[in-house]
Amino acid sequence: MRRLLKIAWREYLAYVRTRGFWFSLLMLPVGISMIVVAPMVTARSTPTPTVAIVDLTSRSLTGPVALALATRADGAKPVGLVVAAPGAPYRDRAEATARLRAYLAGPRTLPGGGQLDVAAIIWSSGDAVSVDYWSRDIASGPVQSAISEAVKSTVRTQRLEASGVDPAALKAIDAFAPGARAFSPKAEKGAVALKDQLPGIAGAAIGYLLWMVVLTGAGMLLNSVIEEKNSRILEVLLTSASVPEIMGGKILGVAAVTGTILTFWMTIAAILLAINSPDVTADVAGFLLGHGRWAYFAIYLIGGYLMFATFYVTLGAFCETPRETQTLQGPLMILMSIPLMFMSLAFTHPDATILHVLSWVPLFTPFVMAARAGADPPLWEIIATSALMFSVTALELWVAVPAFRSGALATGRFELKGFIRTLARRGG
Amino acid sequence: MSSALVLEGVTKRYGDFTAVDNLSFTAEAGKILGFLGPNGAGKTSSLRMALGLVAPSAGLISVLGETDAARVRHRVGFLPEERGLYRRMTPVGAITFLAGLKGVPHALARRRAVDMLEAQGLSSAMHKPIRSLSKGMAQKVQLLSTLAHEPEMVILDEPFSGLDPVNQQSLETLIRGLADRGATVVFSTHVMQHAERLCDQVVLMARGRKVFDGTVKAARATTPRILLLEGVFAAGVLSDLPGLGHITTTPLDTGAVRAVAELHAGTQVQTVLKRAFDKGLEISRFELKEPTLHDAFIGLTDDGEAHA
Repeated sequence: MRRLLKIAWREYLAYVRTRGFWFSLLMLPVGISMIVVAPMVTARSTPTPTVAIVDLTSRSLTGPVALALATRADGAKPVGLVVAAPGAPYRDRAEATARLRAYLAGPRTLPGGGQLDVAAIIWSSGDAVSVDYWSRDIASGPVQSAISEAVKSTVRTQRLEASGVDPAALKAIDAFAPGARAFSPKAEKGAVALKDQLPGIAGAAIGYLLWMVVLTGAGMLLNSVIEEKNSRILEVLLTSASVPEIMGGKILGVAAVTGTILTFWMTIAAILLAINSPDVTADVAGFLLGHGRWAYFAIYLIGGYLMFATFYVTLGAFCETPRETQTLQGPLMILMSIPLMFMSLAFTHPDATILHVLSWVPLFTPFVMAARAGADPPLWEIIATSALMFSVTALELWVAVPAFRSGALATGRFELKGFIRTLARRGG
Repeated sequence: MSSALVLEGVTKRYGDFTAVDNLSFTAEAGKILGFLGPNGAGKTSSLRMALGLVAPSAGLISVLGETDAARVRHRVGFLPEERGLYRRMTPVGAITFLAGLKGVPHALARRRAVDMLEAQGLSSAMHKPIRSLSKGMAQKVQLLSTLAHEPEMVILDEPFSGLDPVNQQSLETLIRGLADRGATVVFSTHVMQHAERLCDQVVLMARGRKVFDGTVKAARATTPRILLLEGVFAAGVLSDLPGLGHITTTPLDTGAVRAVAELHAGTQVQTVLKRAFDKGLEISRFELKEPTLHDAFIGLTDDGEAHA
């Protein structure tokens, strides 16, 4: 045990002292900050475009369009800054186009200074109303949408009023919105609230998190073993400690590394959530800690990590170069993408048959069962899937110990036949 | 004298291939044993079996009196043929860690690491990452990490390979020092000069089989001494001289002849020379070449391979 802990501690320090570890540690907080801050920075750094509105329809559309461009319900910057169309009035659409285009295409400035960014020429043909939308830059979506919506709404109102609809009634109809409420027998008070949806969301999120943590940790182990095999340190370790001590030490050391990162991430996430939504934080904490769910997640985290870590450590002992591992990891990652594709179902359709089936595939058990936590799977299923998962892990360990030794002492490139033969030797 | 390492009828097979065939030898405690043989002779496989890294297919192995090498792993030091250490660790850290695995308390292991590094002139490098050290320095660090737990037996697989002459000399001194303090040293090599200078006992391997086991002197004695004669004489006349075996002659530009003859064991050189003068041979050069371990190695391994 002393040797196992020494190996684990060395492994832990080896990672903690790298820049990559600190980068991983800060990745989530920095990522979250970027997601929050980037749109704000983008909005602030984007200038409000100047817009010239030319109404050739005699329907009085300039006012509503200008109002739509200037008004933002959330108090943000206006979509566009309306300016007087230079050289107006125009005889027709062609003249308006020709004159305004000169301001949009070149350096020509508006009479009051500044440049023109957008020109909206509203014209009609019979009953039809169209907008020619000219802009300095090809992509100028928000301004175009605001103008189109304003024209559509104004023309619609004008036509309905022309058909005899009472303007007050029309206003009331526009303001109407149905009072929709969701109910479910599974909801705490009948009506579905965010609190009722949180278990499903949190369960699925933890399922994904487990997948990421387990496979990241296993990948780190793989690289660590390859490095030690390459430098022949593994051979020296084998003369100093038993295979279970070496494997156990490495697995424990990397578990401590991923555990540190995970704890840091979850603490940061909890703090941010508590600052922004204390009620939601309390509900999430209640879900994670209530009904022994922490133990539920711990069982699947430990089982999943042991299962994959053992396999990857053994595989690493047979590989000489990172290229070999990449070749081997490819098919495995394709296989491991299967639970990812279905785990989101745990939130929308927790009783989906495919989720029940995947829960019984040991490779997928830890992730799918974690994702299903919100639906409270029956106790017998938890016990049975855990037992199966740990049985497979025990069998894997039984085969892995001699295989690891054999691989660690072997030289040359990875040979699948040799790997299988070594596994079969113990199995047989 | 007690035995540190005993192999009795040890065989190792990998499928149909026999890497080591019925190998038996004993390394006495406190002595230096050279494990010699060409590449592929089965040296590394034998050492790995002695260390308990791989199990023999047949035979018995006893290390420091134990048949289970795992029980004495803290009393044995091992330096593998291909060397490397944790590149990001410092020499002090690496030595302390590996000594710790052998059961040395952390503080003591660290103190020993510092002392050993200072003794080897590596004070300035002891806190630098190993990746920044020269190859020779890194090899020294690895050797020290093999010795920091003060093992009773040290197994070194090709320890001289890759070392410059100065470091080879320093390693020889270190190996002698180990034996002086009572440790048993078993090392494999195919550089005979080291074995010749260091070993109390040599075991020669060829194609998985032992072809010789004994002292360096006994190994040399397996190969005949060589007598070189130059002069003006007929080649055939040499066959009349006593104690000469296989003779090869080469005519020289001067008109003389160079003859190289194997000298039978026990033959006195003076007797041969006297007889040559008695027969009136005009001899201008006379040289006796004692066989080296290298000659014995070539002779024995050739025989071993021929007989295999």
